[in-house]
Amino acid sequence: MTQNNRLTSGGRINRNRTVNFRFNGKPYKGFEGDTLASALIANGVSVTARSFKYHRPRGIVGQGVEEPASLVELEGSDASGNCPITTVKIHEGLGAKSVNCWPSPEFDLGGINQLFTKFLPAGFYYKTFKWPNWHMFEPSIRRAAGLAGAPAMPPAEGHFEARHAHAEVLIAGAGPAGLMAALIAGRSGKRVFLADEGTEAGGSLLSRNLTIDGLPAMRWVADTVAELTAMENVTHIQNATVWAYREHNLMIVNERQPNGKSVLERSWRVRADQVICATGAIERAMVFTNNDRPGSMMASAVQSYVNRYAALPGKKAVIFTNNNSAYAVAADMAAAGISIEAIVDSRKNVPSDVTGLVTGMKVLKGHVVTAAKGHKRVKSVVVSSISGNGSQTIKCDLIAQSGGWNPAVHLFSQSRGTLKFDEDIASFVPDVPAQPTLSVGAANGEMTLAQALSSGAEAGAQVSGGASTETPKTNDAPYAIEPLWRVEAKGPKGKAFLDIQNDVSVDDVHLALREGYTNVEHVKRYTTGGMGIDQGKTGNINIIGTVALQKGVDLQDVGTTTFRSPYTPVSFGAIGGLREESVLFPYRHTPITEWNHANGAFMYEAGARWRRPGYFPRKGESFQETVNREASTVREKVGVYDGSPLGTFELKGRDVGKFLDFIYTNVMSNLKPGNGRYGLMLSEDGLILDDGVTFRLDENRWMVSTSTGHADAMNMHMEELLQTEFPDWEVMITTVTSQWNNATICGPKARDVMEALGTDIDLSPENFKFMSLRDGTVGGIPARVVRVSFTGELSFEVNVAPRHMRELWQKVMEAGAQFGIEAIGSEANHVLRVEKGFLSLGHEVDGTADAYDLNMGWVMSKKKPDYLGKRSVALRRSSGKTRRELVGLLPEDPNRAIPEGAPLTPGGRKEATEGLTTACVWSVVQNRWVGLALLENGHARHGEIAHVRLKDGTIPAKITAPVFHDPAGELLRS
Amino acid sequence: MGYNVTINRQGLSALFDLKGKKGAMSDHAGGILPVFPDQHNTYTQSAGSTLFHIGRNHWILRGDISAEDTLISTLKPDQAPSDVSIVQVSDTLTFFSVVGADAAQVMSIACPLDLHSSVFGADAVTYTEVFGLKALVLRQEGGFEFAVEQSFGDLIQDYLDRAIA
Amino acid sequence: MLRITCPYCGSRNESEFLFGGPVGTERPDPNTTSDADWIEYLTVKPNPLGPVQERWWHARGCGEWLTIWRDTRTHDIVEAPNDTE
Repeated sequence: MTQNNRLTSGGRINRNRTVNFRFNGKPYKGFEGDTLASALIANGVSVTARSFKYHRPRGIVGQGVEEPASLVELEGSDASGNCPITTVKIHEGLGAKSVNCWPSPEFDLGGINQLFTKFLPAGFYYKTFKWPNWHMFEPSIRRAAGLAGAPAMPPAEGHFEARHAHAEVLIAGAGPAGLMAALIAGRSGKRVFLADEGTEAGGSLLSRNLTIDGLPAMRWVADTVAELTAMENVTHIQNATVWAYREHNLMIVNERQPNGKSVLERSWRVRADQVICATGAIERAMVFTNNDRPGSMMASAVQSYVNRYAALPGKKAVIFTNNNSAYAVAADMAAAGISIEAIVDSRKNVPSDVTGLVTGMKVLKGHVVTAAKGHKRVKSVVVSSISGNGSQTIKCDLIAQSGGWNPAVHLFSQSRGTLKFDEDIASFVPDVPAQPTLSVGAANGEMTLAQALSSGAEAGAQVSGGASTETPKTNDAPYAIEPLWRVEAKGPKGKAFLDIQNDVSVDDVHLALREGYTNVEHVKRYTTGGMGIDQGKTGNINIIGTVALQKGVDLQDVGTTTFRSPYTPVSFGAIGGLREESVLFPYRHTPITEWNHANGAFMYEAGARWRRPGYFPRKGESFQETVNREASTVREKVGVYDGSPLGTFELKGRDVGKFLDFIYTNVMSNLKPGNGRYGLMLSEDGLILDDGVTFRLDENRWMVSTSTGHADAMNMHMEELLQTEFPDWEVMITTVTSQWNNATICGPKARDVMEALGTDIDLSPENFKFMSLRDGTVGGIPARVVRVSFTGELSFEVNVAPRHMRELWQKVMEAGAQFGIEAIGSEANHVLRVEKGFLSLGHEVDGTADAYDLNMGWVMSKKKPDYLGKRSVALRRSSGKTRRELVGLLPEDPNRAIPEGAPLTPGGRKEATEGLTTACVWSVVQNRWVGLALLENGHARHGEIAHVRLKDGTIPAKITAPVFHDPAGELLRS
Repeated sequence: MGYNVTINRQGLSALFDLKGKKGAMSDHAGGILPVFPDQHNTYTQSAGSTLFHIGRNHWILRGDISAEDTLISTLKPDQAPSDVSIVQVSDTLTFFSVVGADAAQVMSIACPLDLHSSVFGADAVTYTEVFGLKALVLRQEGGFEFAVEQSFGDLIQDYLDRAIA
Repeated sequence: MLRITCPYCGSRNESEFLFGGPVGTERPDPNTTSDADWIEYLTVKPNPLGPVQERWWHARGCGEWLTIWRDTRTHDIVEAPNDTE
């Protein structure tokens, strides 16, 4: 006994394909083409949800994205939360369950809230759960609210995709207006992007029995779609919601289940010259007591179920309207066999062109429904005259209500276009656009099919630079409405809902106004009306109407709240696209990456996205043992590391020397070719930007190296100065970071390794001095060898083209084997530089210390009248305030490590800090922990005891000079 | 299943970064280079070399890797006058080709720039973004070619494998 | 995501650019200017409600530094106001 409420013929469903699905654990059958909502209606399921706050039983209210009452959570491989029941296509094996109820919507324990509704007024949560803070209560309230959980597992198959697209015309909505606009623009050759949220094109025509040029309107739709499909300049996608309208006509579209199984959802970021909003209109509810009972539906939804899905939502219906559109619905319902008990129209005068559609039916003019009766299903309605006289009860199991139509202005409003209240249709329509956008059809308040077609054609012609063509003849009735914001006639007591999704009633809005929340934006936040996934689709205009009535002002003066994206819910996966797992963040490799992996390196990111080896653990070694071994190797024998990531630039031009003198604190212009110098770069406000070594290659060619992490920022900095401050200076910069890789060989045996490698460069200390550079061959490979040192030991940085890097590395390992060479990672490098007191950006160079604080006053040129940052450093120092200065720390207990970043306080007391520990390592030369710190007045305090303050005590440490190895620097010059 | 494309990560090209005023560049290397493109973000070709005009006073010369030594000896980067910068950058870029019926679709996943033939023609080349990285993108027979900083090559291969999975 | 016109490459996605901040006053001669004027130069940047002149770097493009006027209320890229050069 299934699908008892299915008509025997008609509808856009495939009766040859039965689909099995489960809802709240029970098995059902539907047909291909059904939504979950239409299939459940065909099966006679009435209660499909419980409400958000009061857990009232709710049924299906709408037929599309506007559905306010029934949200479901999909199960299994479809796992997804908070889907309107009307937008879920059924397929074999689909499983879905209601949100907001436990154990089921039929029997919901949370329904007990209904008994306490007077204690759950608007603002209840704000008022009640504010001490000590909301977050303490949030988890349990969220659980009670029962919104769907996030899927626990990634989809078993397929992936999300995000694409970019470009169009001369983007059209949102493939209803009659959108299709017509697309057709005209497409024929003119424009690049058109047409996206529609439905599974099929046609919009309202899918649900209405109308004709165009005497033929069924869907014939016109099919012909139009076929013509568009044949146009190469038109991209037409269905099942694709335009959910965001961003600045400069960037539209974001979410396409569900695009063709091709491997893509689950596709996000399109479409940049359009022109946008046409053909998003239609959404029917609004009537506001009467118990207007939320299952069986109380939007008239247009009833029409859709009857015509499009051949499913009957009820047997005996009352229609309640204040406008013309419900009369065609009544005619279609009657034709499908639903008994129309009465048409209740709040208007005293109903135009004859619509009463003609319902000949023989009972029309109660100037009447209103004051209340629905029944709990889990409507059983009857109470009707009276609009002034409250002559109350009568009419039995029915279905209420088809129409409070008028709201143009779907969401996208237009997101684009910052303003809205105005249109008295003719009693709703808000687009007024002044803020971006190149046109609104057509019902989205522009043009409510008839004829108007939709002609406004679509005009817009299509306008964006194509042509004139409007003749539009087809149609047969729908004219539209007219007399607004009814709420039923005022007295009837049975109960709640009359404005926003069904958020359980906001007329009383809640009145309460908000009484408590002083009179601005419509405040009403929204106090009551939560129009928030969440509803985003003002069904309830907003009635809330504004209610506020206007209560304040005695026009709706225009109340205004609307801001519509926000997304228009409908969007998966995070679709927004992220391919960006997950290994490509979630970018990464860079050097040619040695494979070797590092093969040799057991522990790899991590170390600046500018480079993945580098942290250390090379051997079997049975602890972390500290590995680092100690690597550091000792460099101090006692020889080590090698891959220094390729260092930022490197080649500078060319007559004015490079002058330029470098301006951006560095010291003088570079007097360097001789082949020689280099360490330099410090400041920003104009005197803070240290970067440090590095600069070499002069010849008269007009220079090589500048920067720290790894700051390479891009230095490039930006230098280009900005050259292009905006010194456009006449002859300086040209080329980034060569990836043209050079290097193996840096360091340690007392470094020269032996170089000799074993074989080189045509004279390596003797007198002919190849520290801070100089030679071009030649090393191990038969063309190389540029640089004598710099980041470890304090004798070092040769052997630079080669990346194509030769693996070969070089292999040769270094072979040649170095007899000297005990080992590869070292970043951790050992850190130890070696701390032992030498070399600076590290982000540690000692922390955005407050200047060169003097760091014992580098020598780098601040006195001779140069001006360079970047000079004035600011002088200005700051002229205040005479004590500075935090770089010192060394020796913990009194040599085996006690200081956590990096730990604060120093006077005497270790609970006082304002006087500094912080910037680094602390186990020194392999001192055989103890040593640290560096920035300490107030530190230079004058050598020999004193400083105190590191921790949660569980203090660490006393002796203050020393910040160098623990070879203070004279003899080794690195050797 | 996936897209109808062939993706190739290519071997090295001989690449030279050329900076300076067109007149000065022409005086120093005009005889070696293809004709200078007269439009921004386009390229010209001759005798196996391609000249990309990709910025103000900025070109990239691309040749076969086998011609690299010859190009160095004729371009003479070391002997260029002070107002001409010629830097060998062969190793800095990794090129990928994306060719086939769905090449444009795959590129639309990677690149936010409009690569439609009406705006990105047969001789078009430009620096833009590919998977969020700076990349040199050009049109080629049956599809596109693009280059990213060499150290990002593995990442881009990873991305492309995912895109066409 | 704005569209920004590079004088060399034409209209491009904002993601190709890095923001270089509003265009401030000209750098005073650091050897003659007063402390107060130097501090003013360093710290007081234009921040109007309306059109502001600002620099962007076409970092993932041709490398051009460019100057535009952007209306901070609407993100519209606008012509330079009449009262400025």
